[in-house]
Amino acid sequence: MFNSDKKKPPITAKPIAEMPHTLLGQDYKVWCKSQKGNHKWRNIRWLVLIAVNLLFVLSFFLDLSFLEGSLSGSRAMGFYLIDTFNALQVVLISLPGGYFPSLTMNFWIGFLTILFLSTMGGRTYCSWVCPYHFLAEMAEKLHDFLVKEKKVKEHTFNIYLRFVFWGGFLLLALLTKNIVFENLNPIGILSRAMIYGPGLILLWVLALLIFEIVYSKRFWCRYVCPVGATWAITGKAAPISVKFDHDKCGYCRDCQDVCLVPHVLWFVQRGKATQKTHYAGPDCTRCGLCIDTCAGKALTFTIKGLDKLI
Amino acid sequence: MGKEKTDIDRRQFIKSGVVSVTALAAIGAGVGYLKKLHSANARTTNHLRPPGAVDENDFIYGCIKCGLCVQICPIDAIHLAGISQGLSYGTPYIDLREQACDFSCDSLQCVETCPTAVLDFKQFEEAGGNAITAYQKIHDVNEPGFNPFKVQIRAMKEEVKMGMAKLNVNTCLAVQGKGFSGTPRGTGFNGIYRSPDGSEKKASPLRDREFKRGICDLCVTECPIGETAIIMDDTGGVFKPKVLEGCTGCGVCVMVCPTENPSIIVEPLKPESDV
Repeated sequence: MFNSDKKKPPITAKPIAEMPHTLLGQDYKVWCKSQKGNHKWRNIRWLVLIAVNLLFVLSFFLDLSFLEGSLSGSRAMGFYLIDTFNALQVVLISLPGGYFPSLTMNFWIGFLTILFLSTMGGRTYCSWVCPYHFLAEMAEKLHDFLVKEKKVKEHTFNIYLRFVFWGGFLLLALLTKNIVFENLNPIGILSRAMIYGPGLILLWVLALLIFEIVYSKRFWCRYVCPVGATWAITGKAAPISVKFDHDKCGYCRDCQDVCLVPHVLWFVQRGKATQKTHYAGPDCTRCGLCIDTCAGKALTFTIKGLDKLI
Repeated sequence: MGKEKTDIDRRQFIKSGVVSVTALAAIGAGVGYLKKLHSANARTTNHLRPPGAVDENDFIYGCIKCGLCVQICPIDAIHLAGISQGLSYGTPYIDLREQACDFSCDSLQCVETCPTAVLDFKQFEEAGGNAITAYQKIHDVNEPGFNPFKVQIRAMKEEVKMGMAKLNVNTCLAVQGKGFSGTPRGTGFNGIYRSPDGSEKKASPLRDREFKRGICDLCVTECPIGETAIIMDDTGGVFKPKVLEGCTGCGVCVMVCPTENPSIIVEPLKPESDV
């Protein structure tokens, strides 16, 4: 949203002689597939995701006071962490409820810590911690396969739908004075199911996954989840991001194909880039799939500002 | 969004808008319905909120279902409600008959750990602080056995109000003049608690205890609060446990009651307001 880079006139696309595969003397198609099978960042990310969720489970089972609570609110070695969207809802309903002054210091610490982290890394949580993301990633693979086999049709919605839900859920919280979203939140549901044992509510998560498989790819993450939407807003200027180097790009668009939120990579198409260097937008989850797949290594993780210093 | 709108396919935008508004309206209606359904049986005698819980209506508003209170409880008294509890799904409760709150943690840790204000620690902090101040006025630091914390813990415990115990005179053994000997809940029972006589540092299983009473008075002797909460009334040779104002609703009496259905139950406090 409000991407001023996008409105600038595009820079000229590279001629054949300047394309990375010509410089290497390779066939274009061969060059495009040269990074196939590279899953470096994906593997690291899955390891982190599983480790974090396992830590929650083990902390409870083995009674280690290491990472207590669940993903909606937790204590990491005594230091509170609270999901930003949850905290926002609590603040909203505490105002008419009159218990705003009772909100603890720990609440504010947890709220502001995660808020600060999201201004640094945007939606990194989504792909590196969220257990639903992990399941949805699998569902996405199945969905893509079914689409390829022409068994199901792909349905897309508007990406700004998330902000409608974001505002809607906040409004619902205010109107019903209930943290409505947490009842539907697959992150919290999965996290609690892993830590405190499963329940019937898991059927809701299953229903979401089935919907994503047979109807719309990554429906929840892309169009609904207000948790991610919160961090897309707060992480607008996040320094940790994916950097695009136009000189190394071969316009193959493989990165957009693997991306959960392809619109953040709008600049990779021939004749779309408006600058030599672009950064993926705030919806980017820093999952690294595009980095793994890029044949020219045009996409890299970077810390904005720091690369200029070095 | 302004100029950005030119990028958006009009039909898709309308489709998406319809989907989101319908979904939100459905959720709103669902919540309203559940709320109506739920308010009828908010807290039941077997499902009490942990100590310090604010008014039930506020409670289910504010709880973020993180489960920190579940994790910190040393005797595993707190559980998270299942989906059958409607809007209460994921919120903590205590099933007194299975595992009462015996104040084993000594500091109301579940309340202290709660990141939101639905388990409100303020009242306990104040009560504890006042008790310390009062104690220090009478006792000197150099006095042997100077220990204000004991008083503080006591004051905090007494501030708890999870509910109010109520006797069922029809089944109570004492009312019938009967005694009790043996293990109240059988040898397969998993509940634990700490004997109120101060002989134990940690809670131990109820199944390991043997009682022998001429007139059953387990609810009176095992109460962690003591004579401000429950006493044995024996006017005219008829015995009857009498619940007093000091009852915290911790439910140890419910857990130890040897009759098949507990002859003493804890009634949740009436919500101050209704929605």
